[in-house]
Amino acid sequence: MSCLMKLSNLMIKRGASTLLSGLSCAFNEGEIVVVLGPNGAGKSSLLLALAGLIPASGDLELHGKTLTGYSRHALTRLIAWQGELPPTEFGLTVKQRLELAAGEEIDAVASTATRMDIGSLLQRPLGELSSGERQRTELAALMLRQTPIWLLDEPTAHLDLKHQIHCINMMKEECKQGRAIVTVLHDIQQAMAVADHLILIDGKGGAEYGEAKQLFASERLTKLFDAPVITQGTVLVPDYGVMK
Amino acid sequence: MRWFALLVAVALCLLLGLATGEQWINPFAASDALEQTILWDLRFPRLLTAFAVGGLLALAGAWFQVLLGNPLAEPYVLGVAGSASAGAVTGLMFMPESAWVMSAGAFIGAWIGIVAVMFFSHLGANRMLLAGVVLAAFWSAVLALLLALLPEQGLFRAFSWMMGDLSHSDLPVPLLLIAWAIALACGVMLSRALDKLLLGERHAEALGVDVKTLRQRLLLLASAVTALAVTAAGTIGFVGLVIPHLMRLLFGSLHSAVLPASAIGGGLLLVLADSAARTIIAPAELPVGILTAIIGVPVFLYLLLRRSQ
Repeated sequence: MSCLMKLSNLMIKRGASTLLSGLSCAFNEGEIVVVLGPNGAGKSSLLLALAGLIPASGDLELHGKTLTGYSRHALTRLIAWQGELPPTEFGLTVKQRLELAAGEEIDAVASTATRMDIGSLLQRPLGELSSGERQRTELAALMLRQTPIWLLDEPTAHLDLKHQIHCINMMKEECKQGRAIVTVLHDIQQAMAVADHLILIDGKGGAEYGEAKQLFASERLTKLFDAPVITQGTVLVPDYGVMK
Repeated sequence: MRWFALLVAVALCLLLGLATGEQWINPFAASDALEQTILWDLRFPRLLTAFAVGGLLALAGAWFQVLLGNPLAEPYVLGVAGSASAGAVTGLMFMPESAWVMSAGAFIGAWIGIVAVMFFSHLGANRMLLAGVVLAAFWSAVLALLLALLPEQGLFRAFSWMMGDLSHSDLPVPLLLIAWAIALACGVMLSRALDKLLLGERHAEALGVDVKTLRQRLLLLASAVTALAVTAAGTIGFVGLVIPHLMRLLFGSLHSAVLPASAIGGGLLLVLADSAARTIIAPAELPVGILTAIIGVPVFLYLLLRRSQ
């Protein structure tokens, strides 16, 4: 597996405070890296920095060349980013939104929409969709970007159970095609289902990177989230207390 | 079909505008030299001015809405109308007999307002909007001060200009039409990037748009167009706010359609409004800004209701 992106001593700041520092890791073809951490720790900021959308210090190499050496346009051919839901005030339809992402791959819009279960919504304005439908639209927009690296910020947010599973399976399939995926997730079981590697961001400036099977441990996650995480069989789950 | 209907509507409105006024004249059968003069030397240039100014205002409105990410934005939202009015009234104060000085004052005032806003352009859409609204309040206060100091005989002229006045426009018609064409061409060239900006700055940037440069160009373009329109015809409200929305309802949200449709639709509305303004209480004239609202508001609300049903 070849390395697509490499970070050394990455540091991201928000205003005067340091969100995370000293992160070193590599993103390889056909691997999924899951970013975990509490709210406000800097997970989304990490993805934005990897996409070149906010500044970061340290070494950030893409295909052996520093990230800042790429033009904005060149980066769009290498990295696709899925983040917050876009605004809906101006009446863009699902089809128009997908076509903006598709660029030259415009023929793939209908089939990708069908794959994400929004084929019947193509002519609807984004503002008339539910949050889950809008999230599936964003995922379809990402899928139309045939870039080697995908950055996904909470891809299963707003989705019902069926589409959460669909999204997780889609990530696995895309990974098998050789894509490198870095994704922020909040659900530990979803993370365990897809992660080859983990980045744990503690919200105090620290970040840890390693193989998923080594880092998935109840004590480590309990400390990370400052909330009880227990082992049930072979999986880690949040401890919600006594079931009703 | 919709494009064809829009172009037919423009042709019909231009004909109507030629025919109406203090006296009805059939544009195809002018009976004497006086009627020919009224048609082609007085009404026709004024109609073209109205068409170009309306189109420029609608284009500026569409640009400001996407630039600020706010559907309530319009050409005067950042205070350009206030600063231009202050400039115009200053001109009126010093040389009450000269329309040219008033226009020059408006143009200089508009650019002072634009430069003031540009100091805040790096702050992002929301803060720039906030700065613009505060500056607009400042210019309103300056304008009120100037109006308080203005001799009584200048007040009517000032108020007439502030509600939109095509009767004193002294900018050459070809200049306005060329500006309309250049503005539209620039808009169409930027249309794909503007479409991406509808998704928000982050998404646009992730899709390869150099957002910072685009925002600077757009601010400059929209401001320059607004300054020109204000210089030509005073502050005409409503066109820049509603025409882009009306065209989105009719032609969809993509700027390759919205911008040409707005440039034509804005012109159409102002031609219609100006024709009515010249006719209703002829030989006197109503301020055209009143008519743009009276004609445009019901049409817009009707389309909004029909769309939501």
